[in-house]
Amino acid sequence: MSQAQSNSNTIAAHEQILRFPKGQKPSFGPNEWLIWSGSQDEGGLPDLKHGKSKVLVPFAWWVQHHYEIDVQAKTKSGHIGVWFAADDDILKHADVIEQGKSIWPLVAAHFPIFRDGRSFSTAALLRDRFQWTGEIRAIGDVLIDQLLQGARVGFDSFALRPDQDLDVALRQFDLFSVTTQNSWRGKRSLLATI
Amino acid sequence: MYRYDHIDQTLVDQRVAQFQDQVARRLNGTLAEEEFRPLRLQNGLYHQRHAYMLRVAIPYGLFNSKQLRALAYISEKYDRGYGHFTTRQNIQYNWVTLEDTPDILADLAKVEMHAIQTSGNCIRNITSDAFAGVAGDEYVDTRPICELLRQWSTLHPEFAHLPRKFKFAVNGAKEDRTVLLCHDVGIELKKNAQGKLIADIYAGGGMGRTPILGSLIKQDLPWQLLPGYLTALLRVYNRFGRRDNLYKARIKILVKALSPEEFARQVEGEWLYNKDGDDNFTQAEWDRVAKHFTKPAYKSLPALTIEQITNQASDTEKSAFARWLERNVKPHQVPGYASVILSLKPHGTVAPGDATTAQMNAIADLADQYSFGELRATHEQNLVLADVEQAKLYELWQEAKKQKVALPNVGLLTDIIACPGGDFCSLANAKSLPIAKAIQERFDDLDYLFDLGDISLNISGCINSCGHHHVGNIGVLGVDKDGEEWYQITLGGEQGNNAAIGKVIGPSFYADEIPDVITNIINTYVKERTEDESFIASYRRLGVIPFKEAAYKNKKEHAKKSNAVEATGDAS
Repeated sequence: MSQAQSNSNTIAAHEQILRFPKGQKPSFGPNEWLIWSGSQDEGGLPDLKHGKSKVLVPFAWWVQHHYEIDVQAKTKSGHIGVWFAADDDILKHADVIEQGKSIWPLVAAHFPIFRDGRSFSTAALLRDRFQWTGEIRAIGDVLIDQLLQGARVGFDSFALRPDQDLDVALRQFDLFSVTTQNSWRGKRSLLATI
Repeated sequence: MYRYDHIDQTLVDQRVAQFQDQVARRLNGTLAEEEFRPLRLQNGLYHQRHAYMLRVAIPYGLFNSKQLRALAYISEKYDRGYGHFTTRQNIQYNWVTLEDTPDILADLAKVEMHAIQTSGNCIRNITSDAFAGVAGDEYVDTRPICELLRQWSTLHPEFAHLPRKFKFAVNGAKEDRTVLLCHDVGIELKKNAQGKLIADIYAGGGMGRTPILGSLIKQDLPWQLLPGYLTALLRVYNRFGRRDNLYKARIKILVKALSPEEFARQVEGEWLYNKDGDDNFTQAEWDRVAKHFTKPAYKSLPALTIEQITNQASDTEKSAFARWLERNVKPHQVPGYASVILSLKPHGTVAPGDATTAQMNAIADLADQYSFGELRATHEQNLVLADVEQAKLYELWQEAKKQKVALPNVGLLTDIIACPGGDFCSLANAKSLPIAKAIQERFDDLDYLFDLGDISLNISGCINSCGHHHVGNIGVLGVDKDGEEWYQITLGGEQGNNAAIGKVIGPSFYADEIPDVITNIINTYVKERTEDESFIASYRRLGVIPFKEAAYKNKKEHAKKSNAVEATGDAS
């Protein structure tokens, strides 16, 4: 059992992360990141010595704690990223995100349940408004049938819920060869024909 | 009408393949029902009281004879020999199986049709005026914009899981036939002084348990900028629409909570960042789409007077034909032509909006013979042949009579809008169809109906109000009280330019009381009306009291235990 699953203070995900960088093929790779929920231990970061070496902290926690010395130290060494809850209003903290662009190796947006589409808009805002060029990971209740939409709004890695079939997941990105609106991945097919 | 290019066709074919795989995973148990549900809904597949129901999109209500024949074929092969045309210009089948659905979708794809986003918490089928492109009172043909918006909204990734369903309507005529203000977004198209196409945007309208008319939030938006503006609007809704309570999740609740001014300000703030982006429609896209909506090959014909047209009929048929001309035939932009409404509301009908396989095939033939092979589905659940030569109206009337789609009751009391109700729908608290049938049987005298003139009567089997009872002059709402079916009456609703939400008149009734209640209300109108005064005008002048008193005058004793059920209990 993975550490993620064994610890109720983390958000469960496959050990394998589905990566789909823009312009490349989707593939699986190992997950280095612990997704810490921050909900039970307000005092400090989880112990990273005996598990994953890097941690995604809740954005709200980051806003509160990023001045602390140990947080700054871990951030400096590239071991801290943030994840946005579905109800985080990222536009209210635009300055924090602008600063974060140069120090977070990874950001994530959370799906509390697969049919909650708020994080699609979060990812779209990160790409469009903030011009975030780094990795954005979908975390939480991430199911196979959301991958395509996620990939188009700006997610380029996916921490699938552990029960999801990785082979089926990998096939999702080839389902459509055309689109009728722009997305982070590319322009609508119609523009190419006129 | 619009024809798919290879992009549209590829998209629809690939969507069929995607859904095939999703159904296969559901059937082999690797996809849980709860997780399959939003996926099937986004493909129009409901699980109803008795069976699966599939809702097929007819974008902005426009389709052709080949497509109608395919719909007829599907009704015969996979269903029980009929289809049901809905208020949102879709058609639905009540008796399909999950296993057959991918095949049905594949059959639809062969005729450039699909069921994408006809349900679910996403942007639904975009509706418009059934007379777009031909209406005498039209100032902008809405079809190219509707088609561009159809494409823009189809499988839109960011808005695939909104807080709730999201409905667009587009109007471009003097008379609003779209119920524009009862939509999440209403787009009013017009031309400015320089002849440029612009849009006014209304947001936050809707029916359901909290009926609200939409508010104007943006004026004079150039048509090219619609995608960016609507993205901003939907993004605000997606982020801040309520998700904690299903009943408060529609955009109308957000707009009301924020105020239309504040909502508009937030959308404007969001739009600032993408208004100049390349989401916007291009002239080339317009040209590509608009060429499909050029006028058909109209002949150069003299405009006929009503008298000349009526004289086509024999003496014995003249008055019946004249009635049909008055109610079911509408003026056209082109001299010598008219638009014809085929009534799917014959008295004693099984369900308003139903058409059998045979009727669908026959109507497809009529479309070929009389109207360039094109058809439209209306908000009132009827069908339209939009381009009929005036000189052929008599011939068409005779053919339509054979198919039982020539009843001249368009806009009259028996042209009832009704949802499928408790006979089919698992959400319904009460039946709708037997109520509609009982009212049609009570008011079976065409002379009397004609004398009554324009009256809309809408029936919903539950508070979700698929029968749009809020905007019926007379609305009937099925309610559940202690496991029994009751019916609540609203009065004063109206669709069109003077759109209004009806008021609940008081305690609800038993089903068998409804024909008497309607009769009493109608009798009051007949007694009190001034010359040429419509029902709704009388109601507005007299107020609710005389109608309410009439409605309750024969109220059964056993109904005393009933108290008013608040239709707007969730309005906050």
